[in-house]
Amino acid sequence: MRNWISGLAAVAAAGLLSTAFILPGAAQDKEPINVAALYNLTSGGLSSLDAPSFNGMKLKAKMINDAGGILGGRKIEITAIDTKNDTRETATAAQRAVAIKGLVAGIGQSDSTFALAAAPLFQSAGIPFVTSGATSPDLPDMVGDQMFLVPFGDDVQAHAMAEYAYNTLGLRNVAIWTDNAMDYTTGLTRYFTERFTQLGGKVALEDVYMTTDQDFSALVSRLQSTTGVDAVFASSGPDTAGIIVKQIREAGITLPILAGDGFDTDLVLSVPGEALAKDVYFTTHAYAGIETGPAQEFRAAYQAEYNTAPENAFAALGYDAMGLVADAITRAGSTEPAAVSKALAETKAYEGVTGTVAFPEGKRVPNKPVAIIKVGGGKMNFETTVTPKG
Amino acid sequence: MTGAYLLSQIVNGLVLGAMYALIAIGFSMIYGIVRLINFAHGDIFAVGAFAALGSIAIAALPFPLAVLVVLLAGALVGLLVERAAFRPMRGAPQVTGFIASLAVAIILENLAVMTITAQPRTFAIPAWLGALVPLGSISVRVVDIAIIVLALVLTAALVGFVRFTRTGMAMRATAENYGVARLMGINIDRMIALAFAIGSALAAVAGLMWGAKYGQISPLMGTVPGLKAFVAAVIGGVGSISGAVLGGFVLGLAEVLFVGLLPSEFSAFRNAFVFAALILVLLVMPNGLIGKSTETRA
Repeated sequence: MRNWISGLAAVAAAGLLSTAFILPGAAQDKEPINVAALYNLTSGGLSSLDAPSFNGMKLKAKMINDAGGILGGRKIEITAIDTKNDTRETATAAQRAVAIKGLVAGIGQSDSTFALAAAPLFQSAGIPFVTSGATSPDLPDMVGDQMFLVPFGDDVQAHAMAEYAYNTLGLRNVAIWTDNAMDYTTGLTRYFTERFTQLGGKVALEDVYMTTDQDFSALVSRLQSTTGVDAVFASSGPDTAGIIVKQIREAGITLPILAGDGFDTDLVLSVPGEALAKDVYFTTHAYAGIETGPAQEFRAAYQAEYNTAPENAFAALGYDAMGLVADAITRAGSTEPAAVSKALAETKAYEGVTGTVAFPEGKRVPNKPVAIIKVGGGKMNFETTVTPKG
Repeated sequence: MTGAYLLSQIVNGLVLGAMYALIAIGFSMIYGIVRLINFAHGDIFAVGAFAALGSIAIAALPFPLAVLVVLLAGALVGLLVERAAFRPMRGAPQVTGFIASLAVAIILENLAVMTITAQPRTFAIPAWLGALVPLGSISVRVVDIAIIVLALVLTAALVGFVRFTRTGMAMRATAENYGVARLMGINIDRMIALAFAIGSALAAVAGLMWGAKYGQISPLMGTVPGLKAFVAAVIGGVGSISGAVLGGFVLGLAEVLFVGLLPSEFSAFRNAFVFAALILVLLVMPNGLIGKSTETRA
């Protein structure tokens, strides 16, 4: 029995050793550049943002590699770890990622709560973490100097929506629904209220719920019985985005629904259906409104690679995150995480698909334009681009 | 607050309660017969939602036929789970069955995540189900009325079956006393399997209703409603079918009125409220609203 087990162990060990020896030989002469991708790929509403982000990121890496790589022909190699819509899984994934030998940077996540679960582990390992879609402007202060944002902060998008609602749509009294279980949504509500009341608008009703809630009937009835409301600001993540629109519209409420980039998911169209998904306005990352070279090039490349148009702005954000990291590695001329992190912090003007990324004066959140999308006729229609004043 | 507002919240509560009631019946029936708290019950609810998605959206069956398919799918999964996980443990201590049910829940969830991923899916229903019907000072959707009616019809059919048929009598006998029922020539295994089949079929129909009402389903959707239905079963008195129905409606109403009548700051605490209610009921009325005090069975 003993012999049998040790024999098996020897075979297994031999197998392990041989793979360990074969790999460097197969990877030609130039060492790859290791980048980790942490996304919620299979679970929850967030996967409708994260999966396109990851596709965008892979696409950019492929394009860089096909063009001959960086740092004199070295190829980017992505190690992807599914974070399974679970913050504990995310922390474990970050632990596994920072243990990868020669890891240069981590990229990932579309939600601040999840970015906060992963980034501190990168911070303590001294490896930069670039989030493609998490938008809390406080993230760099909360995590430290290894945390970088590719998107604008929530303050920017909420202010943009407040200004658009007040000035363009002429709305004065809003009801606000907030998901109390997310950092993203509570922050969004705070920034929206701040700017909207500053402009002279009023919050007529504030209601709260949790991400796992599916029954909004009680909130809908309360909204229906509140008089003098011009619009609803739904501070929601993708999990509840479609359900909220469906339940509000089904009750016969036709008020405009306003939201942040958590609404940039196909669920907003498909769950309520074409007839009910209308008069919904949300802010998202400006690539829809940008018709310049990189954006067109991105659209065509995405279509060719995945046989579909980019699902939402998060695809473009993943693409930009990878591009930004590659740009920083090139500028640093090294794959040392510290040098890359320094180069990232010194980004002056990286021309991305979602606008120009610059980190002025030690701020690691870029100031980018905000696109306003109007849902109607079974489509997401680009309305305008706003750069908030306040 | 106006009368119409209160009325609309009551209707909201009744619709939610009807779905809790259907899930709670299964909890109660299975507990009544085998003294097993089946925590995989919420996942059978999710199976029902996906069976409904398959039969309505993919196979394009008419709605009444889809209900039938969902009932059958639920019963089938219930039978399978009973045969594979619980029958081999017959006679083992209660806690073994409880842990086995947790294992079944995890296996079902992970199987679903592996095969169809945990991404939320859109559940589209025929347009006539979404139409608004004016009802006095408020208006109600057809699907809401259908949920309440379907729940009441299924409950009435079940109560009739248990009370007035020979098989129903045999089931009651089995629930009352295992050993004596067997001595009377009742096939215990068949009765237990039947309880699983019926309970699971009803949970599956609740899954169909949930999908039809909220329009979005996912393989992990059963967890919270499953736990709440368990609370409903405890409130009504575990082991009693009419208790489960009553508990379901009471819980649905209480939950919605908690959100609807208190200031909106409290809306986020609805789940906390439900589980606080569970603790309170266990402290004050351990046998539930209409449960009988049950002697521990040898």
